[in-house]
Amino acid sequence: MEGKVIVITSGKGGVGKTTATAAIGAALALEGKQVAVVDMDIGLRNLDVVMGLENRIVFTIVDAVKGKCKVKQAAIKDRRIENLHLIPASQSDNKDVLNPEDMVQFCKELRKEFDFVLLDCPAGIERGFENSVAPADEAVLICTPEISSVRDADRVIGLLHARSITPKLIVNRIVPEMVASGDMLSHEDVVEVLSIELLGLVPMDTQVIISTNTGVPLVLQKDSEAGLAFRRIAMRLNGQINLPIEIPQALKSFWKRVGQKIGIGK
Amino acid sequence: MGNNNGMDTHIQDKAQVRLKGVKDGFRVTLDPTLPKDYIEEELTRLFNQLQHLAFNSRVVLDIGKTEGHQEIIESLSLFLKNKYNVESVSVPQREHNMNEDKPQKLDMSNTWHQHHTDALIIAGRVRSGQKIIARKHLVILGDVNPGSELIAGGDILIMGNLSGTALAGQPDNEEAIILAIGFKPIQIQIGGVIAAGLPVTSVPALEFAHVENGGIVVEDYIKTNPFGRLTWPVVR
Repeated sequence: MEGKVIVITSGKGGVGKTTATAAIGAALALEGKQVAVVDMDIGLRNLDVVMGLENRIVFTIVDAVKGKCKVKQAAIKDRRIENLHLIPASQSDNKDVLNPEDMVQFCKELRKEFDFVLLDCPAGIERGFENSVAPADEAVLICTPEISSVRDADRVIGLLHARSITPKLIVNRIVPEMVASGDMLSHEDVVEVLSIELLGLVPMDTQVIISTNTGVPLVLQKDSEAGLAFRRIAMRLNGQINLPIEIPQALKSFWKRVGQKIGIGK
Repeated sequence: MGNNNGMDTHIQDKAQVRLKGVKDGFRVTLDPTLPKDYIEEELTRLFNQLQHLAFNSRVVLDIGKTEGHQEIIESLSLFLKNKYNVESVSVPQREHNMNEDKPQKLDMSNTWHQHHTDALIIAGRVRSGQKIIARKHLVILGDVNPGSELIAGGDILIMGNLSGTALAGQPDNEEAIILAIGFKPIQIQIGGVIAAGLPVTSVPALEFAHVENGGIVVEDYIKTNPFGRLTWPVVR
């Protein structure tokens, strides 16, 4: 059976596309699937750093697409998580070196080798976006509970619709305390405006920053709420569509609350 | 001279004076700004083809907007009555109907009977970056998200939340209205009047915007009931 190509996009930058791609990719690999995560942000690559594989890059997606190397050579195997592969972006080129037709062809090859191909789409709706969306079967839209992010996500839904793709939504960086006090949009507000299927809710989690800085996969950190949320999202992507969506709750533990007051933990 | 001009125009645009048979007579469509000589010449040509059918027939003269063209209507009406013995010459009924000063004696159910819809009706959510342009009225069954743009030659009616930009009565119809169940637009424009930076209402209500004394006024639709005053239902 051929693999699925899923683009992870948002429109706006800095909402957690790369983090989500790395986490979902790792979680799917832990489920036993052959996974390739592809960094489409050519010229501004990040995914390799987040995954801690920066020092192992020899070939990039540009080499693979242009036929300078084989897919197997460009795909870096993660040593901690079996079945997880990264195809890094080139840092020295720009987005115009690839075109949508090339990407469709390239993903055809990837489909044969992997069960899931996750494309980490760059911010914006220009060439990089087009390159990432052209080969995709499905789309996952990352949105934070901020008006600017919702606005951009809404625009991207329209652009994806023009390509006959209806994305599924992940609301990232929810701070339950702020939602409870009315200072942050709730996920209901976001879903009401965007009106697309919800794939998962991810709480704000400082572990994400630690994971990004150290390159240790988020989903391997046991006490990471965001990591757990991404694992559940991966399970839903992997066919367990009936898995209930967990809504991030405000902290209940006394010590966690004290920690928050004095500035540790959150 | 008039003849020559008429001939030239005739060659260029065959359909400037058109005749069409309708249920109980004929409908003549013409542009009232054409030279009178030319119109009469064309009418002669068309009515000659009808021969006896023109006798005692009812003729409707459709010249678009009647304002300012009473003279030509009267003169053509006289022309047709004298030359072809038509029973009556009138202008399309809906033009009469819009004129509230005249006493109304119309078959009410027939006023809009043959009226074709001028409205573009769309169902679904209008998203950021999308632009919907309607020649006349625009009806949206669904929400209009921020960042989207609606442009209409007539009214804009939204059965849902309006959070985007709405431009009604484009380019110069200040009679148009913008109505929404949840009225919280980013910006609205009616004709040439713009209202930007509208105050954010905490509870969006069924409101409508219209032009009053050169400015845009937003009012509660149910309380104001702007069309409740009209004696008869009219085509808008």
